[in-house]
Amino acid sequence: MPPSTSTIAATGADTEPRRHPALAFLMAAWPWLFLVLLLAFFELWARAAFSTSFLLNPYNLKSIALFAALPLLLGLGQTFVIIAGGIDLSVGFVMGLAAVVMARAMQVLTPVDPALALAAGLIAAFAAGIVPGLINGTLISRLGVPAFIGTLGMYGVARGVGFLSAGGTTVPVNNPLLFVMGNGTVLGIPIPVLVTVLVVLGMHWTLGQTRFGQYTYAIGGNRTAAIRAGINVRRHTLYLYMISSACAAVAGMLYTARFSAGAAQAGEPLLLDSIAAVVIGGASLFGGSGTIAGTVIGALIIAVIQYGLVFINVEPFWQFVAVGIVIIVSVLIDQSRHRLTGEKKEEG
Amino acid sequence: MAQPILRCVEVSKRFGGVHALERVSFELHRGEVLALAGDNGAGKSTLIKTISGVHQPDEGEILYDGEPVRFANPRAARERGIETIYQDLALADNLDVGENVFLGREPETRFLGLLPRLDRAAMRRAAHEVLETLDIDIPARKLNQPVRNLSGGQRQAVAIGRAIYWKAELLIMDEPTAALGVPEQRKVRELIQRLKRQNVAIIFISHNLQDIFAVADRILVLRRGIKAGERRPHETSGDEIVKLMVGG
Amino acid sequence: MKRLVAALLGAVAALAVSPAPEAKAQGSCTIALIPGLTTDAFYITMRKGAEMAAKAVGCQLLFQGGPEFNPTVQVPVLQAVIARKPGAILIAPTDKQQLIAPLKQAHDAGIPVITVDTFIDDGKYQDGQGNGDFPLAYIATDNVMGGYMAGEALAKAIGEKGKVYVSNVKPGISTTDQREEGFKLAMKNHPGITVLETQFNEDDANKAAAQVQAVYARNPDLAGVFGANLFSAIGAADGVKALGKTGQIRVVAFDAPSRIVGDLKSGVIDMAVAQHPAEIGYYGVMTAFAVINGQSVPPHIGTGSTIMTKANIDDPAIAKFVYSD
Repeated sequence: MPPSTSTIAATGADTEPRRHPALAFLMAAWPWLFLVLLLAFFELWARAAFSTSFLLNPYNLKSIALFAALPLLLGLGQTFVIIAGGIDLSVGFVMGLAAVVMARAMQVLTPVDPALALAAGLIAAFAAGIVPGLINGTLISRLGVPAFIGTLGMYGVARGVGFLSAGGTTVPVNNPLLFVMGNGTVLGIPIPVLVTVLVVLGMHWTLGQTRFGQYTYAIGGNRTAAIRAGINVRRHTLYLYMISSACAAVAGMLYTARFSAGAAQAGEPLLLDSIAAVVIGGASLFGGSGTIAGTVIGALIIAVIQYGLVFINVEPFWQFVAVGIVIIVSVLIDQSRHRLTGEKKEEG
Repeated sequence: MAQPILRCVEVSKRFGGVHALERVSFELHRGEVLALAGDNGAGKSTLIKTISGVHQPDEGEILYDGEPVRFANPRAARERGIETIYQDLALADNLDVGENVFLGREPETRFLGLLPRLDRAAMRRAAHEVLETLDIDIPARKLNQPVRNLSGGQRQAVAIGRAIYWKAELLIMDEPTAALGVPEQRKVRELIQRLKRQNVAIIFISHNLQDIFAVADRILVLRRGIKAGERRPHETSGDEIVKLMVGG
Repeated sequence: MKRLVAALLGAVAALAVSPAPEAKAQGSCTIALIPGLTTDAFYITMRKGAEMAAKAVGCQLLFQGGPEFNPTVQVPVLQAVIARKPGAILIAPTDKQQLIAPLKQAHDAGIPVITVDTFIDDGKYQDGQGNGDFPLAYIATDNVMGGYMAGEALAKAIGEKGKVYVSNVKPGISTTDQREEGFKLAMKNHPGITVLETQFNEDDANKAAAQVQAVYARNPDLAGVFGANLFSAIGAADGVKALGKTGQIRVVAFDAPSRIVGDLKSGVIDMAVAQHPAEIGYYGVMTAFAVINGQSVPPHIGTGSTIMTKANIDDPAIAKFVYSD
């Protein structure tokens, strides 16, 4: 190699951001550490106050996993959308719409044949879920509607159509196969959790290992660069919103299965939890960063806090405060992470 | 003399009633550096965009490697080896060097013969190689970090490296030194000289006369869409170039 | 950054520690109360009654619920409560259908389930019918009785003559349907009063207000309106005010959150039927205590209501039934 004085690196050497390696590690790993701390905290509390174990109780683990599954499913699709610099506010009601449509279809067909009814219900739910994504994606990528506004509109539309198809109430289904799908276990793991794990693995692979994932990051990092690099940004954006609402549809299916009923308001409380999970997991709402593993950890943190605080019987109102603090702190950490890793470019 | 890599013959481009380019002709050989000078609105950008496929000429002809071409879009131009580096570099700040070099053209393998998977090792290796051939030394550790952690000059180098990796034969650069400090400007000029030695043809737009006189083999001056003159640096002076730019 | 982490840990520790659970739980007697939502005065008042009873019998009360009236929120809370294995669960289910399976889990784990205020399935437990037959008791306001009381009070206020109607939410809601039923039952005792067609407002006060004006336009001798829930009554009162007939067309409200005091005093609403949520909580805990100790309990317990008026609202014996915030 030639002496480095004749190279560009000579000037680049002093642009190394000033940061402590241990601190940088803490920044990157904090959601994991925080989850471990939370679990340790509840474990100690359970042992001290009720001389029982929090973690070694399979019922607790199962309940937390079930609790986390639905907001996590919404968060998985949301992760893709947020990495690309968008947001999908419609997922909660798309989930409810899918749940109601599935229940309606099954209500009609179950007397004919339970298995056929389940198959038809799943297909109907998927179809009902994917259409809003198609519309969201078209509005945003083709017609230039801002994601926030476009998906907020869909939030209202899906809500209305959901309540209309449910006739304003819940739609019960009495189908033994559906009950098994929602409440059965395989090797002790609830089926809804298994389904969620499969979706997580698929999403993790897609985002981290494929061109599709790479383009998602590129669009969030620099949309112009992505366009100039020949990436079909419009089509990709359309796909992202379809993925998001497909995830919501799966969440709706699992909801209907778990409760043997579809309800239009099923996902309403989950929207904010799903966005919180993505943000706690390290994604920036400005796009460009985020991972599936982070979102999983984020969803688990929210579930563990809410479940654990009920378990140790903390006053309900404090639970809002706890989740709120975790979200604020995670955003603050994200901000300082950007500062510390040299958001601004120093010239040599 | 060898065949010029690029020949523009009486190229005109109009937007509505505005003549952005009016019968501009020039040629460019491999290993040659052509500086494009001119005031704002003189047609510099229109000219490079017409060559790189963003615009299509209304009249006249572009010959590439002696063959008439008409690029429908930048992608078509890129496939023939015409790479353009815009002022904003078009790097995705959140991706690392290899990912930027391969952006939009990532190599994929099959995992277990089934699942598509990015060939990250190949991307990293290739990024390292191309930076090495250009004699750009970015610490190995930084190759795997987002390019936002690199200096302005290093980022410029990544953008150029990307073009070279994709076998650019004609490299178009829009104000490559504008955003840089003085030492880094010098580095980029050195880089242009190296590319020239590797037989790459280069067109660059610059406002900086120092740059122009340091690296250009020829200077093409545009004024209001018309070719105001073409000079060799050793035959002219800064004053003359400025006069050509402003007219009179 | 270190300060951030420290602050975070401190905050979490602080909120967990400050409302310290009675770690020294008295024996095994723990009773959980899961409201429909935690942010509603009705349920907050219910909690007070439940706590009083728990203290009296020496049990610990776990009060845990979600911020919204929605099964998605309530079910995880229920599951965490089941993990604590309380001696009994009192719950106001947020859906007749969707809470059946989750509550069955508690039942299967050997935890007795009692529903308060709302119910699952058909609300008739231990009769061998339906999927949701397993809860031991349903404790709630006797809505027929409440409606009856409203009817009697209104009849007296309007001097036994004139026209009245019920401003209701929509058909098919068990509680409001029962209130209307009780109201009409009372009116049968008063032949001088004509009961007009019921008006449904879909819980929209604005609509309820417009309906009063429409009904009055056709029936100038309209003398009274019974609002079967809070919004029906508020809307009706507003409509009456717009007509300038406050004090002439009497309005009876069902439910008594704290704003009702002001409405009664200003005369916008003439009477209010206050449910006794504290009583529901109290009897709920007592019923649970009986079950824990092997006693049998009735499958349905109806609790009382109180009529509030401008005249009696300052009486502490009446004012105590206003739902606390």
